[in-house]
Amino acid sequence: MRNRRISFLKNLAVSVGLLCGAPALLAQTATPQPAARSSSRVPDLSGNWAVKPGGTSWDPSDPSGSKPEQLPLTPWGLERLRAARPPFGAKQTFDPNDPHQRYCDPPGTLRMYSYPWQFTILQTPAQIYLLFEYLHVWRIVTMDRPHPKDLDSTWLGDSVGHYEGGTLVIDTVGFNDKTWLDNVGHPHSDELHTVERLRRLNQDTLELELTIEDPKAYTHSFTSKRTFKLSSFPMGETMCSLSEDQSFQQHIMDRTVSSPAAK
Amino acid sequence: MQTKLLLVSAVAVSLLIADPAFAHHGTAGYDMAKIITLTGTVTKVDWTNPHIVIYMDAKDATANIQHWSLELSAPLLMQRFGWTKNSVKAGDQLVAETHPAKNGAPVGTSGTATFILKFVVNGTPLPVVSGTPPPHE
Repeated sequence: MRNRRISFLKNLAVSVGLLCGAPALLAQTATPQPAARSSSRVPDLSGNWAVKPGGTSWDPSDPSGSKPEQLPLTPWGLERLRAARPPFGAKQTFDPNDPHQRYCDPPGTLRMYSYPWQFTILQTPAQIYLLFEYLHVWRIVTMDRPHPKDLDSTWLGDSVGHYEGGTLVIDTVGFNDKTWLDNVGHPHSDELHTVERLRRLNQDTLELELTIEDPKAYTHSFTSKRTFKLSSFPMGETMCSLSEDQSFQQHIMDRTVSSPAAK
Repeated sequence: MQTKLLLVSAVAVSLLIADPAFAHHGTAGYDMAKIITLTGTVTKVDWTNPHIVIYMDAKDATANIQHWSLELSAPLLMQRFGWTKNSVKAGDQLVAETHPAKNGAPVGTSGTATFILKFVVNGTPLPVVSGTPPPHE
């Protein structure tokens, strides 16, 4: 299994290496800004990390999403939340308007930590790659540079990173507003700014401390934590296929919300 | 093959907590406080994302055949729980537990990322995962 993993990472490193030029060019054209610089210590964050089921909401005092309106929402944010028909939490429904579930839209960087699948971290000196088996999403974190100016708004945003002792700090801006923060429908705007602090608590445990700031959606920032366990399973594949999702919706979920009963 | 629908246990399983499931949707459509046991014949298996679905014919209390659809977790998670794509096949004789739909439709959830209910295929039980509450709930 270890050989398979090493081989997988080598192949991946070659593949993603071809793509590394894009963010590098972007950085060269940006106006220089102060960038956090890494400490000399580089922690080993490698491994396949399993996301535990149940991290439904990023509200640190309500992870199950039983009180979704208790986050410090602005009127704009509250209106968005109330319009959401989410698949989990106090308002959970089998008739959701969740853009990911309904249309296989990308769920966004933060919801990737909510689905019960694995991710792995590939560290190189210039970039960090977060590779998720769910949807085979891969994120690039460019090390030790500032965010470019005039970013496009994208599904994953622009991530820059640096090390602080044993912690990898990932700062991300440049999101679009088409995703939710979590599975209970907490909204965000294109002013979303996230800071992820990843550190290895011990050989088998990775901790994420996440700070969410979005002045359009929330009156102040908030911070939440999750941990992930080292997995012995190799990375696998779980895709979102619109045809498969629609078939499941039709054959299973729609039948449970229709009335009268048996068909 | 004689099949029976055994509403064996409208078992209160409140210990499984309010929302024991986690996948790409919740459990809003299911009665998670009830488990019923179905006995019948598998007619089709969709071993695919987002969730495996097992179709089976089982007789209800008045001996009418009902076409049930039982939802499980996604293939990758089921493999990690010890199932394979050949664990259940069309034509198999199946005894299966499920949380039925609230509206009475012959649809149920029998497994998610946190639990798998009892499945006995041609007399052989498949791996069961107990309903351990999710870590944050």
